[in-house]
Amino acid sequence: MTGPGRPAAVTGIGLAVSGLGTPDDLLQPDGAEEAFDPATGLTGRAMRHKDRASRFALRAAADALRDAGLLTGATFAGPASRTCVVVSTNFGNLDSVCTFADTIAEDSVLGLSPLGLPHTSSNSVAGWLAIEYGLRGPNLTVCNGGTGGLDALFWARAMIAADRADVALVVGVEPDTAPVARLVGHRPRLDGAAAVVLESVPHRRSRGAPPRAVITACTHGAALPDAVRAVRGTDRQPVGLWLTPAGPRPGDAASSWCATTRDLTARLGECSGALGVLQCVAGVSYLDASGPGAVLATSADGPDHTAVAALLLTAPGQAS
Amino acid sequence: MTGRVLITGLGALTCLGAGAPALWHGMLGGGGRPRPVPDPHAHMRTTLMYLFPGDLPAEPAAVAHVPLASGPRYAVAAAREAVADAGLSEPVLRDMPVLLGVEMGNAGLHEARRVAGPDAAATAGPRRWTPLTVTAAAVGAALGSRAPNTSVGNACAASAYALTLAADLIRAGEADVVLAGGAEGVTRVGMGAFNRLGAADPVRCRPFDRQRRGTVFGDGAAMLVLESAGHAARRGARAYAEVAGAAWSCDAHHPTAPDATATQVIRAIRAALAAAGLAPGDLGAVVPHGTGTPLNDVVESRALREVFGDHCAALPLLNLKGMIGHTAGVAGAVGCVAAALMLRSRMVPAAPRRDEPDPDCPVWLPSTPTPLDRPSVLVNSYAFGGNNASVVLTAPGEDR
Repeated sequence: MTGPGRPAAVTGIGLAVSGLGTPDDLLQPDGAEEAFDPATGLTGRAMRHKDRASRFALRAAADALRDAGLLTGATFAGPASRTCVVVSTNFGNLDSVCTFADTIAEDSVLGLSPLGLPHTSSNSVAGWLAIEYGLRGPNLTVCNGGTGGLDALFWARAMIAADRADVALVVGVEPDTAPVARLVGHRPRLDGAAAVVLESVPHRRSRGAPPRAVITACTHGAALPDAVRAVRGTDRQPVGLWLTPAGPRPGDAASSWCATTRDLTARLGECSGALGVLQCVAGVSYLDASGPGAVLATSADGPDHTAVAALLLTAPGQAS
Repeated sequence: MTGRVLITGLGALTCLGAGAPALWHGMLGGGGRPRPVPDPHAHMRTTLMYLFPGDLPAEPAAVAHVPLASGPRYAVAAAREAVADAGLSEPVLRDMPVLLGVEMGNAGLHEARRVAGPDAAATAGPRRWTPLTVTAAAVGAALGSRAPNTSVGNACAASAYALTLAADLIRAGEADVVLAGGAEGVTRVGMGAFNRLGAADPVRCRPFDRQRRGTVFGDGAAMLVLESAGHAARRGARAYAEVAGAAWSCDAHHPTAPDATATQVIRAIRAALAAAGLAPGDLGAVVPHGTGTPLNDVVESRALREVFGDHCAALPLLNLKGMIGHTAGVAGAVGCVAAALMLRSRMVPAAPRRDEPDPDCPVWLPSTPTPLDRPSVLVNSYAFGGNNASVVLTAPGEDR
């Protein structure tokens, strides 16, 4: 699957990742000057009674919507009924589910807090985003393993192509909580969220918002070479940046057409369902800085890479 | 985004037994009854569920070395039935995407591990948590699909969303055949949450009944083979129904409670009808979300009255959750399976007995089997987060 043909333009990006400041920091080798600190950045009235994943998502979404020019103050200024939310997360509510399981065992259901109950639902992050900004279009949550972030971008683009939405707010989020560390593993892992605003070309033009990048193709398949071949298309676009956990090694055929590779997980740890959205944010940041060529993002699920997703991001052209 | 999408295969596993025929005959027989979940650790007031009466399917016991609990195994059983019903085989299966709506995933495994403790034999195998996608992965592996497997996590509306995405994939020319559906096992956390909300009925699931006191969950799976009309015609496949229209909306109102104004519910229903090219008076029946929670049933009734007006009095509703419980992520898919079976037989099964119809729910739940006079059925599916999905199924084109 290479995705629907109608191009969708990226008009905003946002980031709320522990230890990073701006989207530019994703491609820098070292720490940020003004890094996001969850201890102070996830506080405030809007953060009350929400789990860690939802709070990260709200912070990243606010940055992306503001970057897209879709916020007036803290109020959404876009077409609320035609704006969809797509969230990718695999471990977003694991802490809430584990806490509930422990409480039921120790104190029966009488010990459960009704305020925490919404977070046992797998789509709570997307629900909070919709409530915060009054977004009444489709509201989709994908829990799709390591490819989930790129899958979320695929579905957002598909919903625009299907005329179900004019604007899509895409968020990838994975919180680093104690239950995640216990049940998923202790190795370094992401603690944060990334957000991307996609828009249909007519809608973007109608409000005069500048396009930042175009998702030229998305695919999802069983093997990395096939996925890469599919998104590069028949004209074999030159790739300036390949964002991948498993990039080409010296001597690989890919090293002849790919200038630079970067593995975001080398710095951030395992990013799970957020990886694809982080890659998109990093790719837009690269194109913002006039980086040459296209940006290829790939992600895979499982140690054997039983599923692979790929996305090609290009600088905006006349059609976008 | 053009082209007709047909339903050419069905699979179901519910408290009424294994197989879509068991669902149909069970509905005609008045549905099932809930019973306590055999879980000594369910420390809560009511532990009733509408449970699958058969043995846990022996296979697949694992996928990619991850042990599988009931939800993924039910999914595989229903998926095998659906593709067999559709008459699919290689190479179509290899290229068939799998799109499942799942709320709890492999939760049964994790709850068993938690109870057994770190040293028990039941914890054998990898300890790593497996996200919801393991259910779709198990189905894809069992069927030999090498196309994308996707897990939609839209809570109780998940499989209705998955089915709509599947239809969009076909209309966009991305695939000719897609398997869509949902699967759930027993979940202590889900039951506990509804108990704490005071939304778990201690008697049975009683949608639209004045005495209702909440929902009662059910386990199982439901699968549908969606196919482009052209592909179905080329292989001579017989269709149950057509996915004529679908629409989504979000209340953006409250994390758990529906918006009492029903504004977004109404918008989704009207958009689905419009996509199907139907006027309200054209509709033959409704499979409502109808959970038995006090507010849901009132809001949905209000929405149906608003959209269908006087036609509502002659518009039969299938009280599905009163027969098989609220199957959470499966609910939208099993509603579509039931709707497809109604379109095939041109009949709406009678509703289970209501002790006292709720005057605040002015909808028609027929007490006897009722002819489906107009070959079109609306299926509603709602969820926490204010997620609303409405799907319109019609008889296959040649029958309309």
